[in-house]
Amino acid sequence: MKQFSVTAMPGFAFIAILGFVLLYVPILTLVTYSFNGAATMTSWGGFSWRWYGAAWANVDVQSATIRSLVIASWATLISVVLATPVALATTRTAAFKGQSFIYLYTNQTLVVPEIVPAVALLIFFAALKTWTGYQGLAYLIAAHTMWCIPLAYLPIRARLEGMDLSLETAAADLYATRWQTLRHVTLPLLMPGILAGAMLCFITSLDTVVITEFVKSAGQETLATYMLGQFRRGITAEINAISTVLLMLTIVLLFAFFFLTRKRAA
Amino acid sequence: MKKMLIATAMLLATTALANAEGVLNLYNWGNYTSPEMLAKFEKETGIKVTVTDYDSNDTALAKIEAGGAGFDLVVPSANFVKIWIEKGLIQELDLSKLPNHKNIAPEWMNVDYDPGRKFTVPWQWGTTGMAVNQTVYAGDVNTSAIFMDPPEELKGKINVTPEMGDVLALATMYMGGEPCSEDAELMKKVRDKLLEAKPSWMSMDYGMEDKMATNDVMASVYWNGAILRAHLRNPDVKYGYPKEGFVVWMDQVALLKDAKNVEEAYKFLDFIALPENAAMISAFARYANGIAGSEAFMPDDMKTAVEVVIPQEFKDKGHFIPTCSPKAQEYITAIWTALQK
Repeated sequence: MKQFSVTAMPGFAFIAILGFVLLYVPILTLVTYSFNGAATMTSWGGFSWRWYGAAWANVDVQSATIRSLVIASWATLISVVLATPVALATTRTAAFKGQSFIYLYTNQTLVVPEIVPAVALLIFFAALKTWTGYQGLAYLIAAHTMWCIPLAYLPIRARLEGMDLSLETAAADLYATRWQTLRHVTLPLLMPGILAGAMLCFITSLDTVVITEFVKSAGQETLATYMLGQFRRGITAEINAISTVLLMLTIVLLFAFFFLTRKRAA
Repeated sequence: MKKMLIATAMLLATTALANAEGVLNLYNWGNYTSPEMLAKFEKETGIKVTVTDYDSNDTALAKIEAGGAGFDLVVPSANFVKIWIEKGLIQELDLSKLPNHKNIAPEWMNVDYDPGRKFTVPWQWGTTGMAVNQTVYAGDVNTSAIFMDPPEELKGKINVTPEMGDVLALATMYMGGEPCSEDAELMKKVRDKLLEAKPSWMSMDYGMEDKMATNDVMASVYWNGAILRAHLRNPDVKYGYPKEGFVVWMDQVALLKDAKNVEEAYKFLDFIALPENAAMISAFARYANGIAGSEAFMPDDMKTAVEVVIPQEFKDKGHFIPTCSPKAQEYITAIWTALQK
């Protein structure tokens, strides 16, 4: 009997292609118009790098970009450092009471709409800001870290669940200490999961608008909130140029991840 | 890693610097502040202004109300000024520190939300009216019928700005009422008329400066300054003042109660009340500013532009949107929700 396959269903190719077109045509339009020589976003005025030049020379864009990257780097680093032990503790031990609670607790930001933690953090951090007098970037880093932790946790946990215990058991058999096993066996095997988590977190942090808008103090515009601020006045293709650069950065990161994991799997 | 640490340290330190002498934190609408004007202010006073953006009155209010965000000046719209005052978020100005306060134009000095301008200094004001591309429709543009009873030529080519207050005020005035009406019968008519007109609309969107200029949209409910910018690129775009009543709005600068850089803030407020500086603000966003005598310093294409200078016959048709009563607001929100479906 022929096995059932979803790819053999009538109209599969059509729906698949339609799906891809709907997903990618807007992005392609955005990229195409970032090279538009005209001053408008909707009529073509020849190929030009002018908007890249404009974005590059715009000091607001520069400082927002640096700020976004710094926040994303720190949020990623802290999330991964926190999420890895949580993932180890929830997979590499016998089931214990409260395990599912930890799982739910770690992942709650995935199921809560972004506006909820944004408002909660606004109120909480505002009190802290008034109390301590410190208004720096640490609040944004903390907020992004909170938002990132489940994104770092899930790929690491998935990787751990897929790794069988025999190598770690063998290491223990050969008198490796727990630390040596972790350092030389578990972590190297876990690296693709950690990288995946880190990249997801980095990109999400660059992207986060609502939380940033609510938590930012004076002078803490990130790229995402800068772009949001341009909308009412009418946006120029400068925004397309910035978005295209971000898109390229994302693609580069995804490729890096792909090749890194492939090498290890081979 | 080391570089990242240094960059972080520098960024973390910016706030410490921000509270030192000679800085000012302005919290304003995005892309609304003239960079040339800021450069001039910095040159004259040595005060470095940091502008941080918001995109709605509600966001700004929520953030400042929570506190601790480190801003000195904020730019609320007219219908929000009372809320800011009542909540005690902005402070009464010491007019002796503002010699240029007298430059505020007489018609903008005694506004009902801030009589005598004790709390705010005008930033920019404008109108919400109709923009029409005259190659498609050559009829009267000075009417809300353009979007409420669309002429055949414009059907399917009309945009309505997604601003609840502005659109509902225009629609209510078109149906013969006052903005913020509590008349249930009338508001029902407003709702039915809007729902009847909606199939003739193409979109409810921002960004009309571009779309009107490139003939992608042929008519829109929109703001005068943006339409002036569109008109300068495409002379077919004409701005009209609905004779049934159009919306006048104003954004003004207010000093926050928890401002740290108060002296600097006064210098800035006084600076923008000087006609030539106010004209720089107007030259950037293309709205008028409420400072008497600033017209002389404006770009030539603004001095007589119909988008900026309201024609005499329509002057008394402009209405400020007041802060609506809860009941009126309930009607407005319900109609807006129905309209969004």
